[in-house]
Amino acid sequence: MRVLVIVPAYNEEQALEPCIEALLREQPDVDVLIVNDGSGDGTERVAAELANACPGVRYVNLPINGGIGTAVQTGIIHAYRNGYDCAIQYDGDGQHEPTSIADLIRAARESQLDLCVGSRFLDDNDESFRSTPLRRVGIRFFSGLISLLCGVRVTDPTSGFRLYGRRALRLLSAYYPDDYPEPEAVFFCAHNGLSVGETSVRMYARVTGITSIRYLRVAYYMVKVTIAILVDRIRTREVSIDER
Amino acid sequence: MNAELMMLISGTGAFLVTLFLVRQRRMRVKYALVWLALSFGGLVVGAYPRLLMEFAGWARLSFPAAALLVALGLIYVFSFSVSLSLSQAHRRTTRLLQEVALLEERVRELEARDSSTPFGK
Repeated sequence: MRVLVIVPAYNEEQALEPCIEALLREQPDVDVLIVNDGSGDGTERVAAELANACPGVRYVNLPINGGIGTAVQTGIIHAYRNGYDCAIQYDGDGQHEPTSIADLIRAARESQLDLCVGSRFLDDNDESFRSTPLRRVGIRFFSGLISLLCGVRVTDPTSGFRLYGRRALRLLSAYYPDDYPEPEAVFFCAHNGLSVGETSVRMYARVTGITSIRYLRVAYYMVKVTIAILVDRIRTREVSIDER
Repeated sequence: MNAELMMLISGTGAFLVTLFLVRQRRMRVKYALVWLALSFGGLVVGAYPRLLMEFAGWARLSFPAAALLVALGLIYVFSFSVSLSLSQAHRRTTRLLQEVALLEERVRELEARDSSTPFGK
């Protein structure tokens, strides 16, 4: 099974190298594609050094910053065109636990999932970083909204740690939401007939850098994503997804 | 200076500026058409102010309110079309951005493969 790990990176000069090293230590058989999203720091240099030093690592450079949706979709297009069986979105800031990749692959295979979301909230005993209480309210809201509109229950729809199967790669190569895309991508896949599920993963608080969702942006995020999902609901479905 | 004269002057000015920008190829004809139509409309209303007065009477509005309604309607239509064009341009720019990045990666890989082969073969 050919697996590509997509690592979107924006100004992750400090975190990228330890993140990729930890990933390859735990998952030596996967291919890695770092997508440098027009970073203004030394992310491109670090990505180039990693690609030179590690055979399975490649990188692409978006010449200007396109946002997380553009970066992830670039990786998805690459994975789809190059015949990967699945792709895993994995943040370049060291928040995701590399051993959880095996859990995502196992869950997707066992439950025949096209999109498998890594959730921080499935295992109560887990000591994952679970974000702030206010954000958890937002996450629950999106989880309830998606469940209400398409009947798919995902406890952590904002999670950026997820697996896309071939059918999801095909669908999302053509369209991927922008501006805080994670919850909408979950709904978009479910609405278009893909099988969507989740499995428990472990995440950590970010070590360096700052989150892109702060202050007034939180309000914009909530409103924008809610409207985007509601509009998706009244959209006609994409052409049939017949490849499996 | 009265309102009609102002409309005549601004309509003529807008018409000439639009023509100049199209001639310089700084504005596409596609987008210039609406501005030419608008400035032509301003010219006509400036030359024949009774047109707007008759519209105001038909809509049961005072003259200033009718002028404001027409202006706001036009502003809405043009702003809306700009948002549409921006959305389309954003979609296209994003795809171009992605294709450039993926092609650059492919070129880099081919160059590396080529340089690692004896005599570049």
